[in-house]
Amino acid sequence: MSDELLVVRCQLGEREAFTELVQGWHPAVERYVGRMLGGSDDDVVQEIWLAVFNGLPTLRQPDRFTPWLFTIARRAVMNRLRDAYARPEPEPIVDLPGDDEAEGVVNRETLAGALAALPAREREVLLLFHLEDQPLDACAQICGVPVGTVKSRLNRARRLLRHELVRKGYEA
Amino acid sequence: MTPEEVLARLDAPLSLRRRVFYLAVAFAGLTGSALIGLLWVTEPGLPTRTSVAFGVLVAIGLGWAAFGGWAVTRRTPLFARDRVVAGWLGVAAWLAFSVGALVISLLRHEREPALLGVVLLLGALAALNLRVARRARAALVRRRNALAATTTGE
Repeated sequence: MSDELLVVRCQLGEREAFTELVQGWHPAVERYVGRMLGGSDDDVVQEIWLAVFNGLPTLRQPDRFTPWLFTIARRAVMNRLRDAYARPEPEPIVDLPGDDEAEGVVNRETLAGALAALPAREREVLLLFHLEDQPLDACAQICGVPVGTVKSRLNRARRLLRHELVRKGYEA
Repeated sequence: MTPEEVLARLDAPLSLRRRVFYLAVAFAGLTGSALIGLLWVTEPGLPTRTSVAFGVLVAIGLGWAAFGGWAVTRRTPLFARDRVVAGWLGVAAWLAFSVGALVISLLRHEREPALLGVVLLLGALAALNLRVARRARAALVRRRNALAATTTGE
């Protein structure tokens, strides 16, 4: 069954559809929260699901459910990370050679492990683009930034990730 | 946390019975305070103590209405089906108020054009609200059926 159909059934108020929606999307929500926060956080996950069900009746584009869901998840995660964001931005990192090879070398799990070392902004675009398979425009919508900013964050994230993997001895 | 645990925690906000209860509380509070307010303003020469008692009763009714309104806008989401239920409850509340207003007018033996205007206006609002809710639900049902047909046809 398509997500759009499931969302429309939820908007109608069908209880079984609520169950199917949670069963279908909970793993992705939990994975996103876990990787963004560096560990599982049940309170944030519950906060996300509460916000999803409170917002579902007014969701105008059921076919855009996925970016909408991740926008809510991102907001909850960012609330949790606000303290970290309140600190000054880290010094810009010097470009490293061999930019775009990292993702071709490592598998998804290795990538997920190294993500924990990245700053939150870079980590989230890598998570959304590579692990949740969201297109660039959806990433931009979720993060509330232009597509160009997503691309530059992705580039920076890949450089940082490569640096992190090299540091851990994963260089091919 | 498993999906079942998530659903268990969402049980209260997603309970249909609870949503209908909040709506009923809101409309009962609103209707009750409106009728008491009507009695209050149409009764001439009330002693201060009685006026205060009426005021307190109206405030209690409005308090319940505000609580119900807050609950269905902040605590529990209203889905399309619930909005239709809310629409019917609104019509029922309007009917109760109209009957009460009619009885009060008959007891007073006075014609109240302003009251008639208020009753008609509230009736129009209740009917419009119900119509909007039913149309929104019908549109969603059509969309669901079209999507289900596409899914089945694939």
